Amino acid sequence: MASFVRRLARVAAGVTLAAMLAAGCASGNIATSAGTANAKATSSDEIMLYTSVSQPTIDAVISAFNAKHPDIKVSVFRAPTGSLNARIATDERIGGLKADVLWVSDPLTMHGYDSQGLLKRYTAPAAKALPAQYRTPSFAGAGLLYLVLVYQKGLSPAPTSWNDLTSAAYQGAAAVPDPGFAGSAMGALGYFGEQQGFGLDFYKKLKSNGGVQVKSPEDVITAVAQGKYKLGMTIADGALAAVKKGSPVKVAWPAPGAIAIYSPIGVTSKSKHAPAAESFEDFVLSKPGQQAIAKTGRQPSLPGVPGIDRPDGAKVVSPDWPAFFGDKAALLAGYQKIFGG
Amino acid sequence: MAATLVLVAAVIGWPLAKLVDVLVADPAGARAAVTSPGFSRAVAHTLETAAATTVLAVPGGGLLALLTARPAVPGRRTLQAAILLPLLVPPFVLGYSWTQAYGDAGFSDRLIGVTMPGLLGPIGIVVVGAVTLAPFSYFVVGAGLAARAEPDLERAARVSGANAMTTLRTVTVPLLRAPLGAASALVFVLALEAFALPAALGTPAGYDTMTTRIYGDLAQASEPALFTQAITLALTLVVLAVIVIWPADRLFKGSRRPTRASSQGLVPSRRSALADSVAAAIVWCYVALVVVVPLAALLLAALTPAVGVSPTPANWTLANFRTALSGQTYAALRHSLTLAVIAAVVVVAMGLLVVMVERHRRGAGLGTAVTAAYALPGSALAVGVLLAYGRHIGGTLAIILLAYVAKLWPLGHRPLAAVVDRLDRDHDRAARVSGASPIGAWLTVVLPRLAPALCGAALLVFLTVLHELTMSSLLYGPSSQTLAVVVLNAQQLGDVGATAALSALMTALVLLLATPPLAWFGLRRVRPRPTTSVRIPQRELADVV
Repeated sequence: MASFVRRLARVAAGVTLAAMLAAGCASGNIATSAGTANAKATSSDEIMLYTSVSQPTIDAVISAFNAKHPDIKVSVFRAPTGSLNARIATDERIGGLKADVLWVSDPLTMHGYDSQGLLKRYTAPAAKALPAQYRTPSFAGAGLLYLVLVYQKGLSPAPTSWNDLTSAAYQGAAAVPDPGFAGSAMGALGYFGEQQGFGLDFYKKLKSNGGVQVKSPEDVITAVAQGKYKLGMTIADGALAAVKKGSPVKVAWPAPGAIAIYSPIGVTSKSKHAPAAESFEDFVLSKPGQQAIAKTGRQPSLPGVPGIDRPDGAKVVSPDWPAFFGDKAALLAGYQKIFGG
Repeated sequence: MAATLVLVAAVIGWPLAKLVDVLVADPAGARAAVTSPGFSRAVAHTLETAAATTVLAVPGGGLLALLTARPAVPGRRTLQAAILLPLLVPPFVLGYSWTQAYGDAGFSDRLIGVTMPGLLGPIGIVVVGAVTLAPFSYFVVGAGLAARAEPDLERAARVSGANAMTTLRTVTVPLLRAPLGAASALVFVLALEAFALPAALGTPAGYDTMTTRIYGDLAQASEPALFTQAITLALTLVVLAVIVIWPADRLFKGSRRPTRASSQGLVPSRRSALADSVAAAIVWCYVALVVVVPLAALLLAALTPAVGVSPTPANWTLANFRTALSGQTYAALRHSLTLAVIAAVVVVAMGLLVVMVERHRRGAGLGTAVTAAYALPGSALAVGVLLAYGRHIGGTLAIILLAYVAKLWPLGHRPLAAVVDRLDRDHDRAARVSGASPIGAWLTVVLPRLAPALCGAALLVFLTVLHELTMSSLLYGPSSQTLAVVVLNAQQLGDVGATAALSALMTALVLLLATPPLAWFGLRRVRPRPTTSVRIPQRELADVV
C-alpha cells in the first residue's frame, strides 16, 4: 500500500509538472509567434515602455509616434503605480530594469527612481519648451493633472477657494482623497504642506470642520454626485468628464490656483536602445505628441497646445517637488496622525 | 513523499525564500516596518476583522449548507447556485456594490430611506467580508455533507428519538468538525489578505489594515525602503496565518471518530414540508439581501450614464458596456480561460497529492505549509514568484500560472482533506481484501466519494482565476495579458459606470461558464450516496448508541 501511494504520488507530481511545462511551452509559442509577426513588419529597434498612464492615452501617443517612426516598435507594460513599483524593484533584483522608458503619473515616483540612479541625465530637445517647474535634468512632464474642487450643482454659495474646505459654511460636507492611496492626493499634500498659509494646519482645520477622507479622487466625484458630500478635492479631467456625461456636479478652479501634478517621462540609465528611447521621449514632449495626449481628454504640458476646458484667467500652482521629495515621509506621517490610515 | 516536498519547496518555499531575502538584504528597512508607529495597530485591525469574519462566515456558510442539504427543499438547485454568486463578483467591485446597495445615497436609502449602520468601517468590512466568504464555507461543508459515511448515524439518532436540534448538535455538527475546520482555515486566511474591502470600506473611516498599508507602501515604493517595508508587512501576514492555522490544523486532525451522542431531551419529531419551506424562505431572504440587491445596484450603476443621474429606464445607456469592452478583450479572454482551466486541473491534482500523503503518513504541517502562500497579498506573492522564476519565464503565461498555483493550492487541498477525513479507511481495506487492486480500490471506493469535493475545488479555482487581477497585472507580458488586466487598463481607472459594467459582464460570463459544472455539482449532491450500502462499522455504531 505504502509503495503504491508513493508511486501514485510520483505520478501526480509528474502530471502536475508536465502540465506546468506544457503551459509554459504554450505561452512560449504565443510569445514567439507575436515576436515573429513584429519581426516581419520591421527589422529594427524595439523599446520597452513601463508606464502607469492610462491605456487610451498610451495607445494614442504610440500610434502617433509610429506614424512618424515606423521603424521603432514600442512594447508596453502598463500597471497601476504600486504594481509598477513592485515590478521595477523586482526587475532590479533579477538582472536589471527591462524598461527603456519610464512614464509615470506623478513626479515623486520619478524622483524616487532618479535618486536610485535608474534614469539617464537627458534633456530632450522638445523639453526645453516646457516651464521650468515641469522638468528636471533627467525627466520632463508629458502631461498635467489639475487638482480642483468639485461641488454639487446648485450649491450656494459656490466654493471659490481651497480655504472653503475648512469654512463653517461647508461643515461636515467636504471630502478629500487619501494621499497614502492616490498619487494626486499626495501631490496636494506636497503643495499644502510646503505652502505658507496652509501647512499641515490646513488639514487639521479640514478635519475639525468635519472633512472626510475617501480613497481616491474618483470616489470624491462619485460621493459628491450622489449627494453624500457637498464638495471635495478631485482631478479636473474626471470631474469635467462627469459634468459632460450629465452628473449633477460643477467644477471650481479654487484660489490661489488649481494644483498641477505633472506626469514625468524619462529614459532609463541602462537602456540598450537609448537613441530610440530618446526619440520616443522627444516625440511625446513635442507638439504632435502633446496633441495626441490632448485628444484623449488629458491636459498636455506644452504651453499653447489646447487641452481641457478651463475658465479664463484660471490660475495654476505647483508644489515644490524636489523639496517635497525630501519632506514627504514627515508630512505624510503628520497627515496620517490627523486622518488615520 | 519526497516528490511532494520538492513540489512544495519549488512552488511555495522558493518564492517565499526570495521574499525573505529582500529583508535580509535591507535589515534596516525591515526593522523600520515593524517598529513604525502604525504597525501594531494595523496588525490588530487585521486580526480582529479576520477573526470576526471567520466567526460569522463559517457557521453562516455551514448553516446555508445544512438548510439546503435536503433534496425536498423547494427551489434547492437555484438556491445553491445563488448562494455561490458572491464568488463571481470580482473583489474590487464588491465593496463598491455594497455601498451602492446599502450606503448613504445608495439603493435602499433612495427606496426606503434605510442605510446599513457602520458600513464604512470595521463592521462593514466584517459583514461584507463574511457574506463574500461564506460560499467557501458553504462549499466545503456541503462537500463534507455529501461525502459523509454516516447519514445512518443521524437516522439512528432520529429513530432513537432525538429531535432535529439535538441531532444537529450531537451528531451532525461533531461529524462536520473536519470540514468546518477546513472552512475556517480558508476563510480566516482569505480575510487576512483581503484588500479590496478594507480599501473601499475602511479608508473613509480612517481604519487601516496590513493590506491597505502594503498597498500604500508599494504606491510609494520607488524608494527602496518602502518596497522592503511592503514585503515585510506581507511576510508578517504569512507568519500570522501560520501561527493561527498550524495549531488549528493539529486540533482538527484525527477527528474522524464520531463523538458520543447525548441521550438527553429526546423528543421524536420529523422535519416536515413546512420546515423545508421555512428553510427555503430563510435562504431566499439571505440571497435577496446579500446577492440580489448588491448585484442589482451594480447593474443599475452600469446602465446609468453618470453618477448622480437618476437610474430610471429613460436614462439607461449601454455606453458603459462599450467602454468596458473597448480593449483587446478576445485574446485576453482566451488567456484567462486557458489559465483558469489549467490552474483548476493542476491545483486539484496537487491538492489530491497532499491529501494522499497526509492520509498515509500523518504528514504534520504539510497542510499548513501549502496554505502559507495563501496569506500573501497577490502583489507580494507575484513579486516572490517573479524573483524566483522571472529570469527564465518572466512575461509568459507560465509564470502567471505558477503564481496562481502557489496561491490557490489550499483551495485544492482543504476541501478534499475535509472529505477524506470523513472516509473510513476500513472501506478501502475492505475493497482490497475483496480483491480490488490498489488503484481499483481508489477508483471505486475513495474517488467517487471525493467527486463532489473535487468538482467544488476545481470550480473555486476556476472562478477565482477568471477574474484575478492583482497577480496578473504585475506578471503579465506583451503576450500574456489576462481579461481583468485588459479590461481594467482599457477604461479610465475609477470610472464608476465602466467599472460596474465590467463587473456585470464578468459576473454574467462567469455565471454562464459556471452553470454546467454547478448543475453537475448539485446533481452529485442530490444523489444519496455514490457508493451505497456500506455497512456501518460496529465500532462507530457502538459509539453512538
